[in-house]
Amino acid sequence: MYEFHRKQGKIVEFAGYEMPIWYTSTVEEHMAVRNSAGIFDVSHMGRVNLTGPDSGRFVERVFPTSLAKHPDGKSVYTLFLNEEAGIIDDLIVLKIEHARYLLVVNAACKVKDLKHMEESRGGLDFNLDDITEVTTMIAIQGPSAVDALQLLTPLPLAEMKRFTHSTTTVKGIRAIVTRTGYTGEDGFEIILYDAASGAMGVWEALARVATPCALGARDSLRLEAGLPLYGTDIDETTNPLEADLGWVLSKEKPSYIGSRSLTSQVRQNPAKIRRGIIMDERIPRRNFSVTNLAGTEIGSVTSGTFSPVLKRGIAMGYVKTPSSHLGDTVNVVVRDTPSTGKIAKFPFYDETRFGWKRNRISNSI
Amino acid sequence: MSKPLYQVPDGLVYTKEHEWARVTGNTAKVGITDYASKTLNDIVYLTLPSVGQELKQFVSFGTVESIKAVSELYSPLSGQVTNTNQGLLDHPELINKSPYEAGWIIEIKYSRLEEEKKTLMPPKQYQEFLRTLEAEHQS
Repeated sequence: MYEFHRKQGKIVEFAGYEMPIWYTSTVEEHMAVRNSAGIFDVSHMGRVNLTGPDSGRFVERVFPTSLAKHPDGKSVYTLFLNEEAGIIDDLIVLKIEHARYLLVVNAACKVKDLKHMEESRGGLDFNLDDITEVTTMIAIQGPSAVDALQLLTPLPLAEMKRFTHSTTTVKGIRAIVTRTGYTGEDGFEIILYDAASGAMGVWEALARVATPCALGARDSLRLEAGLPLYGTDIDETTNPLEADLGWVLSKEKPSYIGSRSLTSQVRQNPAKIRRGIIMDERIPRRNFSVTNLAGTEIGSVTSGTFSPVLKRGIAMGYVKTPSSHLGDTVNVVVRDTPSTGKIAKFPFYDETRFGWKRNRISNSI
Repeated sequence: MSKPLYQVPDGLVYTKEHEWARVTGNTAKVGITDYASKTLNDIVYLTLPSVGQELKQFVSFGTVESIKAVSELYSPLSGQVTNTNQGLLDHPELINKSPYEAGWIIEIKYSRLEEEKKTLMPPKQYQEFLRTLEAEHQS
């Protein structure tokens, strides 16, 4: 698919892969996903099979989220934590069956994730098989994603629940389709068991019914949806509570790697917390300081952009917990000039108009 | 030879930072080039100087921002700001759509045109400069 990207897009290097940053315009690609459907080549994401007799026991040990309670066919967002409860990576685990999982991890983290799993083996009998190079991964996202993808697969997509997956075919190629994504919209991620012409055929067929989108739109979409980017918004120096990802910690689960460090003190009083800021004007950028109205520094921006939906600057970053109330006015220091904004909820957009919940919410009103 | 990728109109002078100036009478309009606007991609925000502000050649007078990045604007000429394109504040995308006409950014009353003009590129030279940049990019 690189040929398509090279001909159609503006190429940059990302996590060792050459990838397009835009095809036509980041704003157009972004709005195509919010209003109809867009496709993304996400083949750089790491894909690792975890199989073997003890794999069910291993996932309970290594992840803070209980997979045992979920049925086969569930796709679960979770984290790898270190013993200090710092975030090693965030990922999606596809529970294919009790002793078979597919892990979708960040490209730049794959090597350390594999090492972490080997080091956490503790005598358990399981196998890890990196299938990244022999598969292709395409995401299709947006309110028309069901209709667009349905043209290529016999799987009844409208019946699928969000955060579930199924094995099927897409344009005749064996694939796993999961109703997940990184944009806040409804949509699917497709793992194709083909890394050559068959995958290119799927991409080209989807490109006729959805807009090809590149890295620029992927970043602005995930930021508008309030989703953290590993290495930018979360890393080994942040724990899940600070990252506002406490919901991934299964309450009923007594012990997993990192659980000992998540004491009640840490759980109840994180020193800082990940929050959104909507600016009145100007565009916040990474590492800009956040101050209160008295001028005291209370945090800093980890990601910032212009929101094509809100037509305002938006930021994600960490603020001291006592200063993190939704609706509070703060300043972001933009090249020496304090500029006002408000602490905002995630996602940044109006969920009755955008995002996967839109129909659900508007139907219930 | 294939058609150039970027428009470089005649009658303008250009900087290495991809600003242009169009001199008429004792003032000059200033903007960014087609190359700059395409490289930045969607321009979503900009800051303008105030009318009356004194600018020095090659010193920053404002910024343009795309979704991803901030870029400084450098004045091709020294002089005083006589007008700014207020329409850009609500429609910064005009810079992408029409970098040399509707997307002009400021107008200045130049003070050292004769001297400073020698340090700016005529269209042919700027076109050549873009070719070198593209060649470097591809190698």
